[in-house]
Amino acid sequence: MKKLKSILSMILEIEESSINDQTSPDNVESWDSFNALMIVSELEKEFKVRFTMDEVTAVKCVKDIKESLKRHGVLLQEE
Amino acid sequence: MTFKNLSHYIDEYKKIQSASADNTMKKFKVAVLSSSTIKGLKEVLTVKCHDLGLFPEILLGEYNQYNQEILDDESKLYRFEPNLVVLFIDTRALLGDVFFDYYTLSAQDQKCLPALKKEYLDSLIARMKFKLKAKIIIHNFELPCTTPLGILENKQALGLVEFIETLNGDLRDGFKSDSQVFVFDYNSFLSNIGKREAFNYKMYYLADIKIDLSYLPALADQYLAYIKPLISMTKKCIVLDLDNTLWGGIVGEDGAEGVKLGPTPEGRPFMEFQKYILSLFSRGVILAVNSNNNLDDVLEIFREHPYMILKEEHFASMKINWNGKVANMKAISEELNIGLDSFVFLDDDKFNREMIKSALPQVKVVNLPEDPSLYLEVITQLDDFNTFQITGEDMKKGQMYAQQKKREEFCKSAYDIKAYLKGLNIITTIQKANKFNVPRISQLTQKTNQFNLTTRRYLEEEIKQFSDSTDCIVFSIKVEDRFGDNGVTGAAIVKKKAKEWIVDSFLLSCREIGRGVEEVMLAHIFEEAKKEGIGRIIGEFIPTKKNEPAKDFYQKSGFILTEKVGDMELWSRDVAGGFPYPEFIEVIKAS
Repeated sequence: MKKLKSILSMILEIEESSINDQTSPDNVESWDSFNALMIVSELEKEFKVRFTMDEVTAVKCVKDIKESLKRHGVLLQEE
Repeated sequence: MTFKNLSHYIDEYKKIQSASADNTMKKFKVAVLSSSTIKGLKEVLTVKCHDLGLFPEILLGEYNQYNQEILDDESKLYRFEPNLVVLFIDTRALLGDVFFDYYTLSAQDQKCLPALKKEYLDSLIARMKFKLKAKIIIHNFELPCTTPLGILENKQALGLVEFIETLNGDLRDGFKSDSQVFVFDYNSFLSNIGKREAFNYKMYYLADIKIDLSYLPALADQYLAYIKPLISMTKKCIVLDLDNTLWGGIVGEDGAEGVKLGPTPEGRPFMEFQKYILSLFSRGVILAVNSNNNLDDVLEIFREHPYMILKEEHFASMKINWNGKVANMKAISEELNIGLDSFVFLDDDKFNREMIKSALPQVKVVNLPEDPSLYLEVITQLDDFNTFQITGEDMKKGQMYAQQKKREEFCKSAYDIKAYLKGLNIITTIQKANKFNVPRISQLTQKTNQFNLTTRRYLEEEIKQFSDSTDCIVFSIKVEDRFGDNGVTGAAIVKKKAKEWIVDSFLLSCREIGRGVEEVMLAHIFEEAKKEGIGRIIGEFIPTKKNEPAKDFYQKSGFILTEKVGDMELWSRDVAGGFPYPEFIEVIKAS
């Protein structure tokens, strides 16, 4: 979770502490379509996974990202 | 090669937006036009330039608008007036439907395709050449790795792959002798990364991204290789450590016969590393040694070792002593009269590297990896020696610096300076600017700091403009003496007014100062002015931190200080009476 938060925080320019499961493009202004792609690209690189197209288009909030990562076998430690 | 993430660069980009530009650096503008999404490239390129102390303006064309940008006379591209344009059209965009339909076309239609596409690209380039003075970089095209014909692909009259190959070949040949247009081998760049790695289908379908975002930093590095010569940010000299750099082991401990060098698994990396450095020497890179060692041990290797590729004659300076790396580095710089910012330093020892980095930050320090088998990979990646054109001077530079050594020895043996200069048998050749010396004149305006009266930096295209104008005289001077040819080492730009001529630029490479060459240049200006009945010559002088050696030049030459405009001094001398050529120098005027 720490790495996920730091990637989101870096790209979206928001505090790590402000990120939770409900964080989404609806409540973060900087989460535009380009930043969404950058999140995909950097998560894939960091966790060495490849998301499917459906997974990418289905993401509505941080919780969805976490579930996708879990499906790819990435263990996220909850703090 | 690993690269930082794109987000890192975007983050850095925001931080440097407020930083102020270094005003002594030549300003330049880069435009990138592309057929696919390369959002983020501007930020990466800006940050990478910033790391080198550069502050370019960058225009990223709108997604897939390159046609309009190029064809519309009023476009953003033309209003921007870039110094460098990159045209990045990818294979899918260039081919459109043909990318999939190729094998549904008739053989006749297939045959016409390469010429048709080449014609289209030529028309885009020609339009830009007509409208802009910029250097133009065009990507070549990615060769597909798979085709529907599989193993029969190369049995076709003109298969899809061969079509792209043909187009790439025609592009290369078409611009081979064009000094304004350069073809960037994008296909090789992608091969180097791995085409499957670089192309992410999901990103392509989501956002028409044809090179994965994580490789934009690698692509930016490729563009930097063109930016560096644009502003003459070219390194001149490689300074080498010896032990564990040119050979494996320590000569003082292992002996000349014990070091690793030669056709063995452990010796070959060093031997091939030396061979590559020798090929850099042959393209004009100057070599020097900076080593803490006993001279005799080292000379034994240089002279006796059967697999020592680099010889003493290849080095313009050898500092082999116990004086310390920093002191040696400074001594090499003084001896060769080359600024520290022109050096690349190669040393296996991390401590030495850090010492140079902190004491002499202008020097480029290469991080040699711990494993010598990777040395070659690292040095072949260096892009600091690029020039847009290898000038005659560049090719012979290594040799010229060796001649300088002999010249200095001769100076020590001469009685007095006049006898010395006479004995040198200097021959100078004055040449009006032409297409052969324009690149060199531009290079001189950008690199000459000491004997440079105004330190005005000009790009190649600007020099060309001056020389094409009837209101300007631009000339270069070439210097030879009994020890060899120094090549084109000085230049001047004179602006003609009705009654007086103004010396806008006047400069001479520092290794020629004080040998009468500057007087030859001035005498030439007076001679020309007299022919046209001009009253007086106005010499401009702008002081900088570095041009102290030029400070008294106009005064010593009989000019009178008439005016000061800000920092700039205006010196004047009447043309009547002329200005004599020095007696002991032969002057040739090339047509």
